[in-house]
Amino acid sequence: MSTIKGFLTEDHGRCDELFAKMEDEAAKSIENAKEAYEAFAKNSERHFQMEERVMFLEFEQKTGMTQGPTAIMRHEHVQMRNLLAEMGKAIEAKDKDKFFGNSETLMILMQQHNMKEEQMLYTMAQQHLSAESDRIVDMMQSMIVE
Amino acid sequence: MDFDGLSVDQAPPITAPLRFFATAPLFAMLAGFFILFSDVATLSSRFAPQTIAIAHAVTIGFFSFVMFGALVQMLPVLAGVKISKVDLVSKVSYVSLLFGTFGMVFGLWFGLSKLLLAASLLLGGGFLLLIIAMLFAFRTVVHLNASIRAMITSLIFALLITILGVHLLASYGIGKVGSSHLLFANIHSVWAIFGFAGILIIGVAYHILPMFYVAPKFEPFFQRFAVLVVVVGLLLWLIFNLFAPSYAIVAKSIVASLFMAFAILAWLKLSARRRKVSDITIWYWKSAVIFMTLGTVSWVVNDFFDEKYSVVVSILIGGGFIFSIMSGMLYKIVPFLVWFHLNAKGYMTIPTMNEMINKKVAKWQFALFIFSLFGFVFSFFVVQLLGFFALAFIISMVLLELNIISAVLIYFKTIKTKPDFDMSMFTMKAE
Repeated sequence: MSTIKGFLTEDHGRCDELFAKMEDEAAKSIENAKEAYEAFAKNSERHFQMEERVMFLEFEQKTGMTQGPTAIMRHEHVQMRNLLAEMGKAIEAKDKDKFFGNSETLMILMQQHNMKEEQMLYTMAQQHLSAESDRIVDMMQSMIVE
Repeated sequence: MDFDGLSVDQAPPITAPLRFFATAPLFAMLAGFFILFSDVATLSSRFAPQTIAIAHAVTIGFFSFVMFGALVQMLPVLAGVKISKVDLVSKVSYVSLLFGTFGMVFGLWFGLSKLLLAASLLLGGGFLLLIIAMLFAFRTVVHLNASIRAMITSLIFALLITILGVHLLASYGIGKVGSSHLLFANIHSVWAIFGFAGILIIGVAYHILPMFYVAPKFEPFFQRFAVLVVVVGLLLWLIFNLFAPSYAIVAKSIVASLFMAFAILAWLKLSARRRKVSDITIWYWKSAVIFMTLGTVSWVVNDFFDEKYSVVVSILIGGGFIFSIMSGMLYKIVPFLVWFHLNAKGYMTIPTMNEMINKKVAKWQFALFIFSLFGFVFSFFVVQLLGFFALAFIISMVLLELNIISAVLIYFKTIKTKPDFDMSMFTMKAE
């Protein structure tokens, strides 16, 4: 079983791959990018929820920090969800410029966000939750997206 | 552990990096005008005051302004550390570097010794304040990786070259150029290019290429040893220069080979990137890689020609390699900062990053820049055309400045007109 940090970091990599694929499709034809967009959006939403509904909660309970790093990460999730929604609208409207404008912004925001998580939050979570690591990874894997 | 770096509120204010970024192309333009009013014969000597003035309008005015602007912004993200009193530190150092750089280049150009003395104090003060504040911030670093190690190493080189630089400039100021002057100048320039800028670029590339382009990561082996090899190479080079100058080329070859290896690796990573979309920043990375290879080869080969081609080497490495990376970075970072800070303030209907920069203008800017670079090398052999290429360079820098300013204006216009204010940004998703 992988660690919390390993598991979520790997998932970031998966999201990056799906992101690249989506952009690739959209560059070829915005009309046909819908499927790749949905795959990326779905995986991202799943990742957000694995954190918000499982890992962050455990972390907050264990450390008592509810207004600390997890609050900021939740806030950035909201920002990313908004950008994702804008990209979805751009695909519906077949507006390539708007799509790439938003995807470029999302890319940088997402990478800044991932970096903060991988460098700090996941490392801290792993330290505080190491005893429950297996159980938490298991919960995240079996979680059903709302 | 300090979380402040994670927070939007605690991130440095947007003006801290922006004032550095918006000023940098102005110094490059100034360098362009100096070239316009020079002749090739003078500039062919690397120790002519005019050459030193132009070199520093570019290296301090453009390179260091972009690099320190970016470091101020990126330290919390890349290293998870916070510079204390970042707003004050960046304001004070900005003002002192701004006047210091003006003082230095005009002082050298017009031979005003008092101005040079003042400039050496201002530049020394400004750089030391920034460098020490950053090195001090790194004491809290939790997760030491190859990239952070590279940043710290490059800042230590920055510290050393600043001290050397202050000494060199002050000795011009008091008119006492000692016998060690040339040796110090040599150490200063080589360590600045490879120790400070080179190592910083390597360290940042470890992150930036996989992050922004979904390129494969640099090999762990390379990440572990690259910076070490450069440091050993540069120290060896110093020792040989002091005690056995004829062997200095051995150390040079070590440093050059490492940068060539980095260039090849970076090219391979860029080619294998998963994000196929190509933009101006990719072009700049590629031109940087090509010029880095040409530059490092010519740096070594130059030794066999009694260093006759030092100016060409500087154009290839400084102009081609470092300038390209810096310009590409500006195109990525400025629009993102504008978007990020507006978004954090709650504005929703803001232009996307792609709308902030006119792509056509950016393409012209790139084309003119590359054209002027080749032109500068060409002018070394066909001297009459220097002015023409200087003009191309100036226009390219005007376009770069316009692109940066147009993004900055969007920021201030939005703040002023307040198109909307969406409170939903601040609601957390209820469980």
